Amino acid sequence: MEVLDYDTVILGSGLGGLTTAIHASLKGQKKIKIAVVTKLHAMRSHSVSAEGGISGVLYPEATNDSIELHAYDTVKGSDYLADQDAVEILANSAPDEIRFYDHIGVSWNRTDSGSIQQRPFGGMSIPRTAFAADKTGFFMMRALYDEVVGLGNVDIYHEHFVTSLFMDGKRFAGATAIDLATRAVKLFRAGTCVIATGGFSRVYGFTTTAHSSTGDGIALAYRAGLPLKDMEFVQFHPTALVPSGILITEAARGEGGYLKNNKGERFMEKYAKSKMELAPRDIVSRAIVTEIKQGNGYTHKESGMPYVHLDLTHLDAKLLDERLPMIKELSIKSINVDPHTEPLPIRPAAHFTMGGIHVNTHGQIMLDAKGVPAGGMWAVGECGCVSVHGSNRLGSNSLSQCSVWGRIAGNAIPEYIQKNPSSAGKDILKQAEAEEARINGLLENRGTVNPYELQSRLQKTMDDLVYVYRKTSELTAARDAIRELRGQYGDIYITDKGREFNSNLRDTLEIENLIDLAEVVVEGAIRRKESRGAHAMVEFPKRDDTNYLKHTIASRKDGGLGIDYIPVTLTRWEPEERVY
Amino acid sequence: MRRSWVSIFTVYAPMLGVPVLLYLYIIFNAFHLGTASNAVLYLSMLGLAVFAIVGFRDVFIDRQKPRHFLDLKEAAGQTVHKTDMDTTTHEDAKIVEMRIKRFNPQSKLLEENTYRARVDRYSSVLDTIIDIKRKQDPTIAMRYSCRMGICGSCGMVVNGKPVLACETNVFKNMKEDASISVAPMQGHPLLKDLVTDFDDFFSRHASISPHLHRTDETEKYEAKKEYIQTKDELNKFLPFSYCIMCGLCVDACPVVNVNPMFIGPQALSQVQRYYADSRDQLGERRLDMVDKLTHVWDCEFAGACSVACPKGVDPAFTIQMLKTEIVRKNLTGK
Repeated sequence: MEVLDYDTVILGSGLGGLTTAIHASLKGQKKIKIAVVTKLHAMRSHSVSAEGGISGVLYPEATNDSIELHAYDTVKGSDYLADQDAVEILANSAPDEIRFYDHIGVSWNRTDSGSIQQRPFGGMSIPRTAFAADKTGFFMMRALYDEVVGLGNVDIYHEHFVTSLFMDGKRFAGATAIDLATRAVKLFRAGTCVIATGGFSRVYGFTTTAHSSTGDGIALAYRAGLPLKDMEFVQFHPTALVPSGILITEAARGEGGYLKNNKGERFMEKYAKSKMELAPRDIVSRAIVTEIKQGNGYTHKESGMPYVHLDLTHLDAKLLDERLPMIKELSIKSINVDPHTEPLPIRPAAHFTMGGIHVNTHGQIMLDAKGVPAGGMWAVGECGCVSVHGSNRLGSNSLSQCSVWGRIAGNAIPEYIQKNPSSAGKDILKQAEAEEARINGLLENRGTVNPYELQSRLQKTMDDLVYVYRKTSELTAARDAIRELRGQYGDIYITDKGREFNSNLRDTLEIENLIDLAEVVVEGAIRRKESRGAHAMVEFPKRDDTNYLKHTIASRKDGGLGIDYIPVTLTRWEPEERVY
Repeated sequence: MRRSWVSIFTVYAPMLGVPVLLYLYIIFNAFHLGTASNAVLYLSMLGLAVFAIVGFRDVFIDRQKPRHFLDLKEAAGQTVHKTDMDTTTHEDAKIVEMRIKRFNPQSKLLEENTYRARVDRYSSVLDTIIDIKRKQDPTIAMRYSCRMGICGSCGMVVNGKPVLACETNVFKNMKEDASISVAPMQGHPLLKDLVTDFDDFFSRHASISPHLHRTDETEKYEAKKEYIQTKDELNKFLPFSYCIMCGLCVDACPVVNVNPMFIGPQALSQVQRYYADSRDQLGERRLDMVDKLTHVWDCEFAGACSVACPKGVDPAFTIQMLKTEIVRKNLTGK
């Protein structure tokens, strides 16, 4: 087996992974050895699909904005589940991150005076979302990738699928990955590790996310015994194109788009009188689903999906072309509708997973609910739950989060390596060989079940039973269905036995990750008997701060799933009623 | 699989060697040095020609890179006549016949398999192949991720044109017999089925120093203020920054496909992207970087790259812009 020795391995190459790589490299004077291990080509991570922008208070005087206000908006948007110390770090550091991206080449939209332009976004009381047309994530990814290429001490391992993490006691020791080109299993041996593998919205079938958003890093951490936090909170983006689920950015409403039901009414005035279409995503999603339930929606002929209209026809054509070119391109190419002349059919789709690996405000992964950090392990971006988003993320805060904690983790790594030299290497090779044997065993499994069938059944279960509104009876039905799928996973059959680019094997491993994570989502949802942010229970329509102002901590205990709770950190803002 | 050093000797040595020998031949004839010398010359030229042919073959085998002008041998693949058992029918659904040319890494042949799938007017070629992979033949290998035309994974050749599969609608591209043919890009080394090797492509991109250069590095990374950039300055490089690195332009380029030393349209378009950015301070050193036979001067302005580019980057135009800038700089010294 090929053994590769590094000072640090970064799993995932999205915004979180690449910013970590850059800052670790710069902080360590380009002397430490860094590996970025990614299952895609590094510049193709799902961060490229981020459209609307990145939040941060750039010009407090000119816009009458403040860091405190950004933090308050975020806390209120989170329905008070966010840790407020973490939110303050986010709001404080975000402006510098936007400038950092300017310095490495992102093509921000500019004002007439040449400074960075900002647009309104859902739940933000003042326009503070910097943007590069509606391809912000893409431009940031390209700038980061190009920057990493020039660093010299960062090796990128494209198309290496990580299959397990190894710990040496409480310290990270290494990870195994399958090289997709040859199917060879490689061992990455390192003293430190950053997990930046993104979210897992692909547990849903109708989702805005890429096919690759399967939460691999979160599932790996979970299987390695590390705790996960707030997994029941899944954000549904209100405006996903029917029938494909392709994202229509919130910026479409930020630039003035209307949501309309089949009577032509702007129905948001019934649900959020002052913010209208720019209320936070959980509220808009619930509004759309309620409208549809009341019979005010349309039905899509081919897919049978219900939907409402996102109307951009009244917007200035020049503005649409300058600020939302991708929306136009996508809707014409995928459903043959020109947003200039016709409204777009949209409905809520799984978009972002607020939950993730339990980390502290330094981005360090926790060993248990008590708050002891694991040695040399960080999780950044969507896969790490800090938590700044609480039970509902505000649009454009995710890119800030990736960048801020990418920098925090990256800056911490060189010092950590210096103070804590890695002792790994003794029996880790044996563990890696056992992992290789497990993968080969999976290939030889003479089962009867097509793994893709499990995937589609899982996605249908989640789409039908764990959507915007949740019911205990439906959640328990979903739990039973997921457990049955888990049982059947032992009986899968991998058709492709080849060595070159065996995507059948990769997909099967991804499906295992999805099944594990879906169970945690549903279990957390069943136990949270309240409605908070994105988690809306039909039986418990009110937020319950007495019993549930706390984070759910899920971890694998004795082969089963154990749930624990820890308190939310409140600093300046006491929970109050959330009205928009 | 990097570009082999062998190709330097096998492609360039013969290219230089043949004119040199012709020149010598003329000199020899002019001085009437006799038939014996001529025979030696003829023989050595023949030897060089053989060397060149073998050399070219070597390059192809080394990169597993079949060329457009060399029709890759095709084996008769099996025909799978299965339709998925999807019961959700509606009157507008159609059955499409997907003829997928798959590269077999063992036999090094392209094998055509035929599948039938149910599609509607929204189905993209990518959706259809994923559907076939999941329900009929899980061994099909292709790259895909975002399915919204921004990650650049799913470049392939559909009905003979290099396109992103996720942006290609099935109904609009069906032939008269309700079929669609799909093949891998052949401008990149083939790996398996529709998957090609991008290592060489990425190293070419990396070789042109694709990042903003500032004279003061600390100031670059410790940003306390943004650089001021006007809308006009932004628009000078914005169109070229849309490159998603899908590799379709390289697949389409006729020059890079016969001359592997040419760096190709993608990398050159990115030179222009950074050269035109008002925040970049490398300035004309970027022009020196590409003022080479293997860079801008190998471009013959066929324009295929610009036709293929799914994001409107127009690499052919950028290369001509770079040429103009180089000429301007060399003539005026400014």
